Order: sequence, then structure tokens, then C-alpha cells
Amino acid sequence: MSRSTSRSNRDRRIPRRPLLWLAAALLFTLPPMFASLATWVPCLFLLALALKFWMEPRGYRLRFAALKLVLAAVALFAIFASYGSLHGVEQGVSLLVVLMSLKILEAHTAREFQVMVMIGWVLCLCGFFLSQDFAIALCLLIGFALLLVALVQFHRGSSPGAFWPPLGTTGKLLAQAAPLAALLFVLFPRINSSFGFQIRDLRSASLGFSDRLSPGSITSLTDSSTVAFRAEFPDDRTRPRGPMYWRGIVMWHCEGMEWRAPYAPVAISPGSLKPSAPGPHTAGELGRALPAESTSGRAIRQRINIAPHDARWMFALDRPFEVPPRAMLARGNYLWSAQPIRKARRYEVTSSPQVTERELEPLDRREALDVPASISPAVRELAQSWSAQNSNPRAIVNSALQFFRAQGFRYSLSPGEYGKNDLEAFLFHRRVGFCEHYAASFATLMRLAGVPARVVVGYLGGEYNDLGGFVLVRQSDAHAWCEVWLADSGWTRVDPTTVVAPGRASLDLDSFLARNAATGELNTRQNAFVAQLFRSAIFTNVRLAWETLSYEWDTRLLGFDADVQEVFLDSIGIANRGPFFLVVEIVIVAVALLLAYTGWMQLRTRSRRDRARGLYDRFCRKIARLGVRRDPWEGPSDFSRRAAQSLPDEAERIREISNIYIALRYAPESTTILLDRFAKDVSAFPSHSR
Amino acid sequence: MKARKFPLVYPSASFAGLLFVLAAMWYAASSQNSPAVYLLLFTLTAVFLVSIPHTLINLAGVTIALESVKPAFAGQEVSLPVEVTNGSRATRHGIELALSGSSRERKRIDCIPGGKAARVTLRFPARQRGEHRVAALRLTSVYPLGFIRFLKKFASSQTYIVYPKPAGDLPLPLSRAPSPHSRSRADFGEGDDFAGVRDYVPGESQRHIDWKAVARGQPLMTKQFAAETEGVADLDFSAVGLATVEEKLSQLALWVIEAERAGQPYGLWLPSTEIPPAVGQSHFHQCLRALSLFQG
Repeated sequence: MSRSTSRSNRDRRIPRRPLLWLAAALLFTLPPMFASLATWVPCLFLLALALKFWMEPRGYRLRFAALKLVLAAVALFAIFASYGSLHGVEQGVSLLVVLMSLKILEAHTAREFQVMVMIGWVLCLCGFFLSQDFAIALCLLIGFALLLVALVQFHRGSSPGAFWPPLGTTGKLLAQAAPLAALLFVLFPRINSSFGFQIRDLRSASLGFSDRLSPGSITSLTDSSTVAFRAEFPDDRTRPRGPMYWRGIVMWHCEGMEWRAPYAPVAISPGSLKPSAPGPHTAGELGRALPAESTSGRAIRQRINIAPHDARWMFALDRPFEVPPRAMLARGNYLWSAQPIRKARRYEVTSSPQVTERELEPLDRREALDVPASISPAVRELAQSWSAQNSNPRAIVNSALQFFRAQGFRYSLSPGEYGKNDLEAFLFHRRVGFCEHYAASFATLMRLAGVPARVVVGYLGGEYNDLGGFVLVRQSDAHAWCEVWLADSGWTRVDPTTVVAPGRASLDLDSFLARNAATGELNTRQNAFVAQLFRSAIFTNVRLAWETLSYEWDTRLLGFDADVQEVFLDSIGIANRGPFFLVVEIVIVAVALLLAYTGWMQLRTRSRRDRARGLYDRFCRKIARLGVRRDPWEGPSDFSRRAAQSLPDEAERIREISNIYIALRYAPESTTILLDRFAKDVSAFPSHSR
Repeated sequence: MKARKFPLVYPSASFAGLLFVLAAMWYAASSQNSPAVYLLLFTLTAVFLVSIPHTLINLAGVTIALESVKPAFAGQEVSLPVEVTNGSRATRHGIELALSGSSRERKRIDCIPGGKAARVTLRFPARQRGEHRVAALRLTSVYPLGFIRFLKKFASSQTYIVYPKPAGDLPLPLSRAPSPHSRSRADFGEGDDFAGVRDYVPGESQRHIDWKAVARGQPLMTKQFAAETEGVADLDFSAVGLATVEEKLSQLALWVIEAERAGQPYGLWLPSTEIPPAVGQSHFHQCLRALSLFQG
């Protein structure tokens, strides 16, 4: 039954079974790589895994140091060739994946197996850098657990059972670890460790909008679930009702379909602004494109945790009028940081929905009316037809909104490609666009019609987190809208997107699109079978369950960051104890838990000795104290003979006790009377010489 | 054998790697303020911590018993058969056994079901002649994850004998006067001339079995060859013409082997011991034992 191997641990080969588990685990780390890395990198990894299974039974492996170095250099070059640089998260992860591939081909000893498992864990870690999406996270966590299974299987060696037993052991480990992990996750102090420098992460390079609004620049953000910032409302701890327009950056420079922000914005003094009561402009046609906020006129204090985006704009509810330290208020009423934001930052800012400007400076007016010469005559004609009808700016705005509403414009995530001179094509022919298309074209048309206009880029909406009591704004909430100068109300927000897609402003983008898909697109686009499948109860339930899980992951788990933890610890009243005491308490709980596990497992696996054997052992201990030790191979009768010889005083009792024990052992059925007598005799036996 | 005390614990070689991975995860999690990475970090930490009692329990109830050790010649290997018993109800995995001091050989038992035992043989070089005590045995385990090693030490009072290394090139000293005790055996030693057959005794070399007779359906018989020379070998310590005691003992050991192989009766005279001439396994070992325990 028992199996043993004679080779020592060091030169033991990697057996096939743990290798299979390892391969399965590593496959689960691949999805984020396929999504984010150059395709050849995960392909190479797959190839290495397949090769390994071909090589291992034949005893082949990657042997020569020179060859390994050459391969590593080739890989480095290939990475440089596919990304254009070696600096960045994707490049780093790619390099790690390539090195892991080489390691797989090279490894052949037991020790290297442990190393491979640990590299696997690092790959899981890297996966989380590439994406924190729930589906991906689930894959990575499964991969993480399978790596444990591989490790357990590896240490089981040739023990019988290759599937359920290692899975069961791992499951037991994970189940026992869960309370401890939860404890650590909730209570362990989270210290910011970016010792002055920050890993250049993906956010800065490829996520977030830029200072240039071109067709497609916001559309590209719609599938990014990366967090842009979180906002708390310390005054009432509830979010304002109505749509939340988060102001990011104001663009003054028009190039038709493309708009640009000034490189170095001019500061304005906050004193030139003041919150005002709601103006008369909220009524009528304009009022619908500019939904009234119930908090109008009231100052809203926000505490914002901004994620690093490597640029200098900062976000605040429309519109900020009190400036946080290390920032200024730029011309156009937006926040501008003193330094690029390279690590997470927390600031407090106060906004008011209505801020009146005294008047538009002539210089600003000129800039807000500037249009490029390249605008086509048809577009100019359209704009001038509105101003010819009615020269009141408010009427012009309404005409333009009416145009967007009546002329069959569609709101779409995939509007196709537009260049910066495609304004005419957009307005008269294709008429499909996303928010940046509507904002850019609307503002351009306003300028052509003589109404000062600018484009604002920021975020719209966000997800309210009940647990943490904050609004979480993701990159996918990015939005662009316009502001026009009206003499009576100053710069006034007009969001042409809401005219085309009326529900967009009150929902976040995901829910808006989900609702649209449910009603319209599916029926038309998918064939009947798929439509039926989508509508079937099981599918709906599965989808709903998945969405709920995904939501829980996003809000509860991904939402539980250092700041939420602080709030949470505060709410249960242990935040002010200091990290040291917290750690000490965690250690005490952990040790107690581990001791409990040990005791429990000890009890469960201890062999049940019968009473007679226990009594006989006691008897043997007593005799040992008298100087005769029973050898492990000695049977009771041999021992009794030897002990009786050495201890002539007790010879009679020794013989008697031994005989009863033998009788108890070998009697066809043991009798309690005999056992009781045996117990009495053993207790009466002297434990020290008289 | 009884374990010395509570199992010792120390990190295994891959523990450093684990620390590195955990440090990397911590750095990544805290610098990015990423709860997902924190989850990974804390899960791995918790699994590692929970694996410590698992490893400890994996040794609970496991005991070892030494079996008797066969003597070996100096310079050869001593084989130490050990029975590892799992006294618990649960199956134990990945139990490793080694002798303290020599970490070179570590025997691994993949699996012992509850209540069962496994037998392994530890081998180590026999260095010096004499009687030695078996070194303490180290029962270790890293199961299930391999980051922590628990160690149970078993002290042993068992001894083993190492015979002197057989060496030397002096000829076997033969006295022409055969001893009357061994007469009957000496007639049929191992020589070159066929001298007949006798019953096979289990344990004898199978090389001299008369296989042709077996093929004819007869019982196993051993072919006997008469030795060329007859007589008694007098192995006298004081008569060996070598300088040191060890050299003399080595020469004597070689002679004992030669005489035993030739089936020639031999007697051993040491300053403290006298063993009258005889031949056979027990005599052979008695002589070698005397040589090995010789106190110069």
C-alpha cells in the first residue's frame, strides 16, 4: 500500500500529474493576456506548454545556457518590436510570460516545480494589472487555486488518486484559509507603499481621455471599467439627485469635428465666481437639454479620490468654485493640478450647479467664436439659417437641438470612423455618433451661428456604492458636452447627446446600453433562435446572476480599497487604535485560529486505542520505571518472562497481568469483568520499587 | 522509538520564494491601492498559514522502529531498515526520513494509509570498524505545500557493527596439521576438483547446484569440489608481519574471508580472544566481530 521512492528530493524529476495540474492552472492565467498583450506572447506560452508535454516523456529539455540567453534576447527584441518600447506594464508582463515559457521548457527538477508555481502566482498578479473585470478575475482566482492543487499533487507524489484527493485537500486548505483571508482583507492596515515612485500603470498610458477630443476618443473608453475617481459627499453622505456632470477639462480650440484644450491654461481667481440662484433658463426647450438639478444653488462639498492619469486635470461636480490646495481654477472653470497626477490623490472641492460669471471678456468672446476656415459651405449655411431666423442665442440653441432631434440622428457605440473634417458627412449623411460627435458638432455649429460655445469633457453619472457611501466613476462614464454663453445666465450647459438619446443623462452608460439592447437591437440583429435563447428564462436568470456577482465583485470587493477600509474601521470603532495594535490583534486571532485547526485535526485523526491496550501500556510504563523496558518487538509473554526474571519480587503479579492481557487479546470475546479486573490489577501494580 | 520532543519547524528552501511573491503582491497591492491584488495576497498568506498545522498534523502519530542492522565492512555501506508506522487514522503523505548528520540521503514515502506501516532502507557509508550507535533519525514532512518543514527527531539506542576493511596481500597462513574438529567439513571445501554432491542447504550459493540433476527430476543437490590444499588456517594477530594494528586487523579480516570462501577451517588468535578453528557463517561472523571490537 505505502509507496516510497528512493531518489532524494533534489534530483527527483517532475512527475506528469502535477505538471498537468500546473498546465491547467496556467491556462486560466491566459485570458487577460490574450485581451491585453501582443497575441504572440500568450501563443508562445501555449506552445511552450504543449512542447513540454512532448519533451518530458522523452527526457528532452532546454539545456544550454547560451541557447537560453539567445532565446531571452530574441524575446526581448520581439517585445520591443511589438510595443515600440520596453517600458510599461504590458511589456513587463510580456517579458515575464516569455521567461515563464522558457522556464517551463527548462525545468526538470523538483525545486524548479516550486519555482514554476510561484511564477504562476506572479502571473495571476500580473493578470490583475491587466484587467480587474469580474470574468477575468474569476479566471485568475481559479488559476490561483489550481496552482495550489498542482503543488499539493506534487507533494503527494505517487499516492493513489490524482484528481479528487488533491482537489479535496486544496479545498480544505482554502476553506480553512477563508476566514483568515477575510479577516486580513477587512482589517489588515493598508499602507501606501509607493515609496516616492509609482509603477507606471496602464491607466496613465492608455486610459482616460486626453486634451484632444476627436471622433472616437471617448468611444474608445466605453469598455474600460477602470476607475477614474471616487467621490464622497461628506456633508450629507448622499449623492445629489439628477445627473452628475463631472467637469474635467474645457476645450476652446475648434477644428471642426475635433476640439483641443489649451496646453497651459490660464488661471482665474475663484473670487470672480459665485454660486447663484437658478436662473430663468431652466424652463422651456433649453430646459430639457439642461436638466434642472434639485440641489440647484446649493454648494456641494465633495471628497474625491482620483486615480493616477498622468495629466493635470482634476474632477469635480459641475462647477467647482473652491479650489483644493496644489491646484488652480483654470479659465473655463475647471481644476488644474500643479503637478501631473501620477499617484492616487485625495482632495476636497466645493461645487455649485449654477455659477454666474459677470461677463464674457472680449478676448474670450473672440476665442469662443473662432472656427477654422475649413468648414464646408453647407454647414455654414445650416448654422446661418438658424441665426437668420432668430438672432436670440437661446432660439438658436433650440433650433440646433431641434435639428438633432428631428433629422434622424442615432446614438451608437460604433459610429464608424470620422476625420476632423467630416462634419458635413456627420451632419447630413451618416448621422450616427457618440457623445463626442454631438458635442463637437453642436459647439461648432453654435460658433458658426454666432453663439459663443465651448466643449467640456468629463464624466457623466457614476455608480453609487452603498457599502462605502460614495460614487464610483469609471472611464466608461466619460462624456463630452457643450457650454454656450447666454447673456442672462452666463456659460450654460447644453448636452446635445440627451436630445438624441434622452435616457443617457439619467443612467450610467452601461445600464443605458443594456436597456437599449434588450428592447431594440436584439430583435432586429440576432436571428430568431438567438433572440429566443436570450429571452429564455434560464438564460435570463444566469445572466442576472452573473451580473449580480459581477456587480458585487466590482462594488464590494474592488470598492473596498484603503479609503473605504478607513471609513469601515471608523464605523466599527477600531480605526483609532493605530495599525500596530490592529496587527497585534490580527496575529492573536490568527494564532488562535491555527491552534484550533491543529487541535481539531489532531482529534480527528488520532487513532482510537482500546481500553485494554491503554491499560497494558500503562503497566509497561510502570515496569519501565522499575528498570525493565519493553522492546518494541517483544511480545507480552516474552516480556513478562523477562520482566519476571529481572524483578523477582513482582514476578507473580507481572505474570498474572500479562496472562490477563493475553487472554483479553486473544479470547474469542472480551468480557467486561475480565477487563475490570485487569484495570484493577494494573492500578494496583507498584510504580516504584518498594 | 520515541520522538525527542515537539516537532521542530523551519522554513524549506522554497520559503524564500514564497516571501518574494508575497512581497511583490504586497507592493503591487499597496502602491496601486488595489483590493483585487490584496485579495490575492491575503488568500495566499492565509493558505500558507493554514498549511502549517496541516504539515504539523501530517507527522502526528507517525513513529519509526529500527530493525536489526546487518554488519558491514568498513568502506562499504550500512543498510538500516526502518519501519515507519502511521498510528493515526488519516493517511499521511510525503514523509521523509533521513539520518541526522548526513543529509545526503533522504528517503521519501509518498503515502502511508492510516494504521499501516511502510518499510524503507537507509544506506550510509561504514567508515570505521567497531561498534557504533545509530545516529538520530529525522522524520520530516513538507506536505501539503512545501514551504514549511516539520522535523521529528528520534533518538536511537541501537548499535551496528562495522568490520575492519579487508585488505593486505600476505598469503593465508596454513598449518599442515589439520584440526580434528573440522575434519569432516574440510574434506569438502571449495576447490577445483569435483568431489561429489550433497543435499542443498537453503541459503547456499545457487552456482553450485547440480541443475542437470534438477532437470532430471531429482531434488536440489550441491556439487562439491575438493580443495587442493588441506589444513587449518591459524590467524594469529601477533604473527601478522605488519606494522600497525589496523593493517593487521585488515589482513586478518581478509584472511577470514578467504578461508571462509575456500571452506578451510580457520581459527583466530587475538591478544584478548581466542576462537578455535572452525568454518561456517556463525564462526565467520564471530571472528569478524572479534576483529571489529578489538581494542588495541
